[in-house]
Amino acid sequence: MMKRRPDFWTVVTVLIIVTLVVLLIVPILRVLLLSFVDADTGAWTFGNYVEVFTRNYYLTGFKNTLFVGLLGTLGACLLGIPLAFFTARFHLRGRAWISTLAILVLVAPPFIGAYAWIMILGSNGVVTNFFEGFGIEIPTIYGAHGIILVFTLKLFPFVFLMTQTALNAVNKSFEDAAENLGCTPWQRFTKITLPLVFPAISTGAIICFVLAIADFGTPAILGRGFRTLSTIAFAAYRSELGGLPTMAVTVSMIMMAISMLALFAQRRILSRRRYASSLTNLPVKQKLTGWRNVAVHGFCHGVVLLAMLPTLVVVYTSFLKTNGPVFVGGFGLESYSRILRDTPEAIGNSFLFALAAVVLITAFSSLISYVIVRRDTAASGAIDFLMMVPYLVPGVVMAIGFVTTFRSGSFFGLGTATMLVLLYFIRRLPYGVRSTTSSLRQVKPSMEEAAINLGAPPLTAFLKVTIPLIMPGLIVGSLMSFITAINELSGTLIIYDAGTLTMPVKIYLAVLDGEFGLAAALSTVLLLCTGVCVYAVFRFADNRDSAFL
Amino acid sequence: MALVEIDGLRKLYGDVVALSDISITVPSGSFYTLLGPSGCGKTTLLRTIAGFHNQNAGQIRVDGTSIEGLPAYRRDVGMVFQDYAIFPHLSVYDNVAFGLKQRKVPSAEIKSRVGEVLEVVQLGAFEQRMPHELSGGQQQRVGLARAIVIKPKVLLMDEPLSNLDARLRVDLRAELRRIQQDLGITTIYVTHDQEEALAMSDTVCVMYGGVIQQAASPLDIYLRPANRFVATFVGANNFLGVDQNGADLTLRASGADLSDLLSSAQRPVAITSAIRPEAMHVQAGEAAASADRVAIPASIKEVSFIGREMEVFAITKSGEILKSVDRPDPAIIGLTPGSPVTLTAPRNEIIFFEDSETGERLT
Ligand SMILES: Nc1ncnc2c1ncn2[C@@H]1O[C@H](COP(=O)(O)OP(=O)(O)O)[C@@H](O)[C@H]1O
Ligand SMILES: [Mg+2]
Repeated sequence: MMKRRPDFWTVVTVLIIVTLVVLLIVPILRVLLLSFVDADTGAWTFGNYVEVFTRNYYLTGFKNTLFVGLLGTLGACLLGIPLAFFTARFHLRGRAWISTLAILVLVAPPFIGAYAWIMILGSNGVVTNFFEGFGIEIPTIYGAHGIILVFTLKLFPFVFLMTQTALNAVNKSFEDAAENLGCTPWQRFTKITLPLVFPAISTGAIICFVLAIADFGTPAILGRGFRTLSTIAFAAYRSELGGLPTMAVTVSMIMMAISMLALFAQRRILSRRRYASSLTNLPVKQKLTGWRNVAVHGFCHGVVLLAMLPTLVVVYTSFLKTNGPVFVGGFGLESYSRILRDTPEAIGNSFLFALAAVVLITAFSSLISYVIVRRDTAASGAIDFLMMVPYLVPGVVMAIGFVTTFRSGSFFGLGTATMLVLLYFIRRLPYGVRSTTSSLRQVKPSMEEAAINLGAPPLTAFLKVTIPLIMPGLIVGSLMSFITAINELSGTLIIYDAGTLTMPVKIYLAVLDGEFGLAAALSTVLLLCTGVCVYAVFRFADNRDSAFL
Repeated sequence: MALVEIDGLRKLYGDVVALSDISITVPSGSFYTLLGPSGCGKTTLLRTIAGFHNQNAGQIRVDGTSIEGLPAYRRDVGMVFQDYAIFPHLSVYDNVAFGLKQRKVPSAEIKSRVGEVLEVVQLGAFEQRMPHELSGGQQQRVGLARAIVIKPKVLLMDEPLSNLDARLRVDLRAELRRIQQDLGITTIYVTHDQEEALAMSDTVCVMYGGVIQQAASPLDIYLRPANRFVATFVGANNFLGVDQNGADLTLRASGADLSDLLSSAQRPVAITSAIRPEAMHVQAGEAAASADRVAIPASIKEVSFIGREMEVFAITKSGEILKSVDRPDPAIIGLTPGSPVTLTAPRNEIIFFEDSETGERLT
């Protein structure tokens, strides 16, 4: 090849790589290295890992994590798969309503579910008290079963939406052929349809599992002595404050390893099952009658309503009259006025940090998606791969990595607010990139070439032609990253200080203090802006269901 | 208007040689067509000229100056894309004005130039339309207008008509040629359609496997194909085996002596002869050779009557399948497969090639 001065996109590629190295690879490597350091002597050691796998405290946490992770995923599949099948194959009243509720469940802040269930089934919960009135002692929400319940109801939309999308894309001819060859409807479902949508189901399940493993808010709020790796890591981090957080990072690394192993296992299984088919014959929806119809409607609406219940309870609670932390009966706006009195800055900070992160995400995801889609180099392949990493790295790991790498005074010394913005940026960047990338794949490369051919330098061609054409994808991606950034809790909890309190952190602290009214009011504010974003996504996305995955 | 010279151009994709040692000269103001089957490297050559990728070796000169160091956006080479590449978010006017705005042309001048060029492509009334409100043919005209309005030194077109239906293709073909001649713009045109190439071009350049097979006028390409590939790809051809026996050269299918047509000094080891289907005449039954015609006995394989002419496929005794295109003859059309016929052809229309895929013409 003849030498030329580096072109615009080469410069951009280098810029992206540098950013990802500094904000993603270096912090993760710091955490990884730290897990091999002895906290007291600073020498290299495997001792931390030995400790995790020999001490009961950690081993129990390890088993607990797998237990609630696996059962939560199983529960999500048990709700999500039938729901997907029913909505995709039968005539249902309120189908759009069901998927809208499922999407709302999916995007609602994860920790809201946990504490709303306390208000329903906790020691002083509505249902608990109701049964107590009859002298019946019902099990409370605290412990493994509560966590599994919350995971199940929180995570099933992933399985549901992925499976539904896949079911809608199964060529009906396959099912017709099976029937023609003598399969009963049940055989047809288990032998043809289910295997065809298995890749989608397993992808949904893996997302559930990874999120369940990394989730901090739910076990922290509902655990009561039932510890998972994420709460152990957080507690270790808190107790090691001042020293080296070696145990915290070791535990975090193990969480991450579990997620990665699960993902690679799934990829291996899937690599042997790739089915391409053209959608020449659209699936049709059957009409049910009699008790089957009632049962299917009951199941579908029941599941989404049950999953929405915590959100409704939160909104309801926020309008209850309170006096300090105590509900005094009747309705009132005291909880909201308390936000304004106690922590107006939490709202401001949340918006400021999330918006700042989203501005960065929007700019970077448009550039990154161009490099991934249009440039066929090793670097663009590497960037594509790196975009999967933030999904797999628990917030605790990223945050500890950030603190150890960018703590003020260190080489990269950054302020807390900047660190939070960059944390949200790197953790939520993949949401923007994914949406923008799929949008750009539908734009023919000849569009940009035509612009360049007419005399536009690469940057001008990108701004005047590419950006307008991928605008819907860019907007959807930015909204998705905004929703997920403003709801971030686990990483923020590690990094925040008195001046950088955010809404999720304040909610978490209020719940721990038993300030349910205040928590509910803040959660409602958070839900409201999440809801507005969801509505905007509906307006801009081609396919509203898959935009959220 | 500009002279384009390409010298020793080489382009690899990994280890795939897409272009090997391409050297061509496109005279100023001429219509130069790259013709070849899919995958032969036409698009690659065009995109290299446009600057969308770098060559591995060789030079491209426009009016004697190498454009090697110029990035694509400064090459001043207009391009019409196969898929039109009309910007869907811009109106017809803004699409056409795009290149002028990049060149910072004053807005009054932009207005008049866009208006003029839209008249030239007969889209005067469509200025404010959006691309999705246009038909395929109209979009292609916008693509052409957008490329020529900047008055590029060279105009490149990559199969611009291939996405249009057959009738429109023929109409637009003539229009493209007219516009090109009116503007006198040096044009490099890519197609895999031989009819299009022959009808429009000053020069046809036949490519195969990343190599130039022949560059000549349409008539020369047709009458004097440089090698066996060109003879097959441009127009159809019947290839007939010949046997060499000492100084004798005989047609395998009939035993006719062809020694006088090819001097022994010109004979390589393996030779094949070729006769165009339209030079072959079919007669029912047996017929004798004459002084100026060879006669090949054969039996009917298939006869198809396609209106203006009939196509006859016949099998010779040596098993070769020959095609003849002739005026419709009721006596022949009525024949059933297996019926004996004789194909005759003028001796002076037989040409010889070295017997390989791209074997050279010997006469
Ligand atoms: N981006 C690419 N990467 C690898 N091989 C390519 C690429 N583009 C074209 N080729 C190969 O180069 C050869 C020439 O392709 P092309 O120029 O598109 O042919 P044509 O336009 O004549 O159909 C083909 O063998 C094609 O497979
Ligand atoms: Mg091509």
